[in-house]
Amino acid sequence: MAATLDPVTTKTNYLNALKSAIDEEMGRNPDMICLGEDIGILGGAFGVTEGLQAKYGTHRVMDMPISEAAIVGVSCGAALGGKTVMAEMQFIDFISCGFDQIVNMTATYHYRTAGEVNIPMVIRGPAGGYGGGALYHSQMNEAWFANSPGLKIVCPSTPSDAKGLMISALRDPNPVLFYEIKELYRKREIEEELNAGDDAIVPLGKARIAREGADVTLVTYGQNVWHCLEAADNLAKEGYSAEVIDIRTLVPLDEETIIASLQKTNRLVVVNEAPMTCGFAGEILARMTTKAFRYLDAPPARVTRLDTPVPWVKPLELHVLPSVEKITETALQTIRF
Amino acid sequence: MTPTATKTKAAPRKLEPHQTPILARDLLTPEDHRELLNQLYLARYFDVRLIKEKKRGRLRGTLYSSHNQEAVLVGSLYGLEPTDWISPIHRDMPAFFLKDAKNGWRNPERIGMSIEEVCSQVWCKVTSPGRARDNWSHIGSKAKRIIHSTSMLAGTIPVAAGVAYANRLDGGNDVVLTYNGEGSTAQGIFHEAINFAAVHKLPVVTIVENNQWAYGTPLELSSPNKDVADRAKGYSIPGLVADGQDVLDVYDKVMQAVEHARAGNGPSIVECKTFRAYGHGDHDDDRAARYRTKEDVESGRSRDPIAICKIHLVNKGYLTKAEAKKYMAENKHATQTSDEDFPPDVVSYMSKGIEFALASPPPPAEEGAMWVFREEN
Ligand SMILES: Cc1ncc(C[n+]2csc(CCOP(=O)(O)OP(=O)(O)O)c2C)c(N)n1
Ligand SMILES: [Mg+2]
Repeated sequence: MAATLDPVTTKTNYLNALKSAIDEEMGRNPDMICLGEDIGILGGAFGVTEGLQAKYGTHRVMDMPISEAAIVGVSCGAALGGKTVMAEMQFIDFISCGFDQIVNMTATYHYRTAGEVNIPMVIRGPAGGYGGGALYHSQMNEAWFANSPGLKIVCPSTPSDAKGLMISALRDPNPVLFYEIKELYRKREIEEELNAGDDAIVPLGKARIAREGADVTLVTYGQNVWHCLEAADNLAKEGYSAEVIDIRTLVPLDEETIIASLQKTNRLVVVNEAPMTCGFAGEILARMTTKAFRYLDAPPARVTRLDTPVPWVKPLELHVLPSVEKITETALQTIRF
Repeated sequence: MTPTATKTKAAPRKLEPHQTPILARDLLTPEDHRELLNQLYLARYFDVRLIKEKKRGRLRGTLYSSHNQEAVLVGSLYGLEPTDWISPIHRDMPAFFLKDAKNGWRNPERIGMSIEEVCSQVWCKVTSPGRARDNWSHIGSKAKRIIHSTSMLAGTIPVAAGVAYANRLDGGNDVVLTYNGEGSTAQGIFHEAINFAAVHKLPVVTIVENNQWAYGTPLELSSPNKDVADRAKGYSIPGLVADGQDVLDVYDKVMQAVEHARAGNGPSIVECKTFRAYGHGDHDDDRAARYRTKEDVESGRSRDPIAICKIHLVNKGYLTKAEAKKYMAENKHATQTSDEDFPPDVVSYMSKGIEFALASPPPPAEEGAMWVFREEN
């Protein structure tokens, strides 16, 4: 099913951008299959796979039992058998139920077979907080997997990146975890025109400068990109220009783009809605303090979720998650250090 | 059954198209029967030799002996098509070279591993199929159709189902045989994977090697079922029980499941009742002597699969009594056996594998950092 187009403009939302990437790849690659809970008859809990089963058949778009470990393991086996697999987690939170099959079976396959086998597979699902999803429908658990060698990790923040990175992920010979930000799925303000064909492709491992600036570098991904852009507006009112880098891919990480920015701004704030301890923000800080120390004029800082689960009701949720205010404040402290 | 079929009982060769075999074994030739015995010797000798090598301190890692359980491996593998897949686990080391062995142990064309490859893995050499990156049974080969397992028990069953599913999409009907201990049937993934395979009638046959013990835990603390095969009822699939000491019974039951699977009727569980001869691994031998009484162990391993196979062969006239007594590997502790207890071609097959492994180099250290990601498509 083609992306639903706005009747007045040709802008596409984040969800339809993902759908068009999956659809196009299914059309291009006869060896690609999709597995997940409720992805066929229903078209997915959020509708990312709507229409795909009618178009490609039940054998290529398969409704799976509520068995995350089997979804991953079967996908891995199908990939061993020559298929390219898109496996959906209904919510990325449930990925924990398939953890062993991801980190021990799938992630290590290439390594332990000394390169004989590779597993072309994308595990994707809706992620992130700020939507009142409570503890088990709000997670950003990418750090678990960043700590498991053999997995690429992607998290787009715009429709064109959603499409372009999904195409790259589905063409990558390795397992890729694809974190979709469900709060962005249907957000009208971020809809944009998409490129067609190969022009739509966004390579893995390349960061995007979402806004140029000279006084501080805000490094982030996912939903926090939009928070950082708002914080940059606030900073501009204070007379400072912030550069916002959307890393887009966590593994592999585009360190060069961040380092180049730090050479210019000399100040670093990393923003990430996952919990602080051993979160990916810490990884970026560690790498930049070791690799770009000489460019830094102030201690690098991070704004993350508190080390708590994500609570349900709004005031509590917003209290623990990074906010535009917290980002602005931290950036100001870093600039004025 | 037709009267003509009864007549064929005395000389079971190939049945006429209108005849119905009673059991899969009725289609086996005398040569097949003798080959089954030879493969039992092969599996036993492999194990015995490694037990001795391990005692001499020459091997890394843990040896999970398959002693007394060989009929499960030999009987389940013998009837497979070369292109069928298997996924052996820790106690199944001989499966790697027994796969498709009936097409010639040394036949380089056969779709199974050579003894050189398997020994290279045991001796941590670069000539191992996985270049010795993970230990012991964690090898495999896409080309040889052997799924690479991890340590996580029952973890290969969903992968087997995925392989079967991909194969079906490509128009094939290759069967995938997975191996599991009875203890591993308690894993969540065992349920998830077989449930999925049953929903889609995938040709996945799960062999449960019920050796009564899961490390230090007896069957009754692992499973509420006396017959683990009863778990199959929950998936509306066949659950067969085989005498795991009797290679022909294993062969019959597994072939029943394999034919059922290949015909598109879906998965089965085949429980093979057997008994673990030693400790869980060689590290556990001393402690195992404490948690299992001597009497239980003696009675548990009193039905040696080699001896039982010989009885079949002698009864059928495929082996003379004198021939049956020529090599006496059965009913002996590994350390009590000598090379004279095995046919010379069995000894030389394994010895060549070891020689090859010993002469091979270890993998270069820098390989430790390689192959995390596939760089290009
Ligand atoms: C998921 C998991 N848990 C625990 C272990 C440790 N472990 C290895 S073998 C084993 C016992 C397995 O018993 P069983 O399945 O009956 O097979 P057997 O060893 O008897 O052949 C245990 C507990 C493991 N490898 N994987
Ligand atoms: Mg056991």
